[in-house]
Amino acid sequence: MSAYPPPPDVIEGKVAWIFGDDFDIDLVVGVSNIKSYDADHLRSVCMTAYDPSFADRVRPGDIIVGGRNFGYGHPHYPPMVALRNAGISAIVAESFSPGFWRGETFNGMPLITIPGVAAAVTVDDAVALDWRAAALRLPDGTELAGTPPNPRTVQVIEAGGSYELLLAEHARQGQAI
Amino acid sequence: MGHTMVEKILGRASDRPAVRAGENHAVRPARMIAYDFPGYTDVMFRQMREDFGITRLQDPSRYVVFIDHMLTKRNDKETEVHQVTRDWCEFYGIELHEGRGIGHQLTAELGLAIPGEFLVHFDGHISGVGAFGALGWGIRRDLIEAWVTGQLFVDIPATTRFDLVGEFPPGVDSRDLVHTIIDMVGADGCAHQVMEFGGPGARAMAIDHRQGLCGMAMFTGAVSALFEPDEMSLAYAHQVARRDFDPVRPDADATYAARYTIDLATLTPRVVLPGSARVANTKTAQELAGTPITKAFIGSCASGRIEDLRAAALVLDGRTVASGVELNVVPTSQQVYEQAEQEGILDVLRAAGATINVSSCDFCFGYQKPLQAGENCISTGVLNISGRMGSPDANIYMGSPYTVAASALAGTIQESVQ
Repeated sequence: MSAYPPPPDVIEGKVAWIFGDDFDIDLVVGVSNIKSYDADHLRSVCMTAYDPSFADRVRPGDIIVGGRNFGYGHPHYPPMVALRNAGISAIVAESFSPGFWRGETFNGMPLITIPGVAAAVTVDDAVALDWRAAALRLPDGTELAGTPPNPRTVQVIEAGGSYELLLAEHARQGQAI
Repeated sequence: MGHTMVEKILGRASDRPAVRAGENHAVRPARMIAYDFPGYTDVMFRQMREDFGITRLQDPSRYVVFIDHMLTKRNDKETEVHQVTRDWCEFYGIELHEGRGIGHQLTAELGLAIPGEFLVHFDGHISGVGAFGALGWGIRRDLIEAWVTGQLFVDIPATTRFDLVGEFPPGVDSRDLVHTIIDMVGADGCAHQVMEFGGPGARAMAIDHRQGLCGMAMFTGAVSALFEPDEMSLAYAHQVARRDFDPVRPDADATYAARYTIDLATLTPRVVLPGSARVANTKTAQELAGTPITKAFIGSCASGRIEDLRAAALVLDGRTVASGVELNVVPTSQQVYEQAEQEGILDVLRAAGATINVSSCDFCFGYQKPLQAGENCISTGVLNISGRMGSPDANIYMGSPYTVAASALAGTIQESVQ
């Protein structure tokens, strides 16, 4: 639910993890932790089922990569809070689950759809994501192209989330709507 | 080139003759609905007043709030949330309904599910209003955008068309249909789209079953679902609607992302394994027959309406729930409860050993009588993720009211003998 700082035009980092199809976002922290909003606790459990060192090795700018239907399931927020706090700056996937897409776009996380991405990268690849253009540059210089976000979604991400954009556009209007 | 129902409805909501799938527009919902929930509405109420300085609404009738969660226990924090809700609705002159049942059903009963209109809610099961040819869209926290600006930006969804023929065989209903569709198209087979139902099988389907089916649209990845209006749904809408309406129908040459024909007569009872409704978890009831259960639940915004309770009564009449099994029934609304009482359905269920509970959302999300670790429950609820109905170490299977009732009698998962 927290607002996040807007990302740079080009997000440079490494691929922190690659998930398969239908990845359930709850699994990031485990089902028993999906009601926690304690940042320290979420950090201690973030990705421990996959890689106990994940939170220590992730750096701001890193991205995670997903297969088809990323975020399938009930799109709880704490797993995303955990990933954000760990430093993840964007998610690139073959496709996104609609509930997750809407919920996390609200929070200002760039969710970029790029077909073929899951097979084209490996963990720790240094990549550069031009999120407005949905263009991902790989270590060998080749570029994968996806579906750019629509202009309104770009505005949301640039503002650091839907709520920040709403505040910028309508705060303290003090009038009937 | 013609238009789908969604393109026409969202066209109207954006003051255009029609819009096309793939476009992004600001659209103006006829109703903006919520139920109160800690961390959602209480926060949004405060934001609207304090952050946006809104002290008066031009058209309060577009806002509707239900208190349908957290009614069955007394907890100071939740009592406070309900009071915040009452105060907020009174301040702005907003319609509030408390303790009358599950809001997604009340939306229909109160005449708010108007054919051809666009409704939003933060909860995705609002898609159930599609039974009446209305478009209901669960927009999550973007509800604050709608509340504050009166509109919200959406990507106009493409549509997948389902032509239904035939009729459900005995012991099969819309729950089996939705899980058959998931099996057929995949759990993301209609992702970011709307499902459109029509054909003779759709026209033969009871309104309750249409509501249950549309309410589960999200499990195909769809953002909503709707039926072509017909004599049956329009008769209901005319009876309850608060204003004149102009239903929309798809054009014969509408463009669809995909089109499927399903013969309802060929369907068999389905049961979903604990975890999620994904394809690999969707089994026939026969495949899981014999799986022991200790709890059974019939209710929710998908499956606690009069047709569902009639189905349960048909199976349970003159029989007794197995020893060691607790069967809980929650009529979807107070009106459904009263009708079931008048028809003698609740007496049949009670005689079989079922406990009839007040109409609310509390069972479905594990607030009322939460499951204990190690328990197996078979449920008509809407979600079976771990922890949904109590302990994360309990298992939730999902099936139709026929299947849940038959399983409660046997003490193990069974398809109905009806």
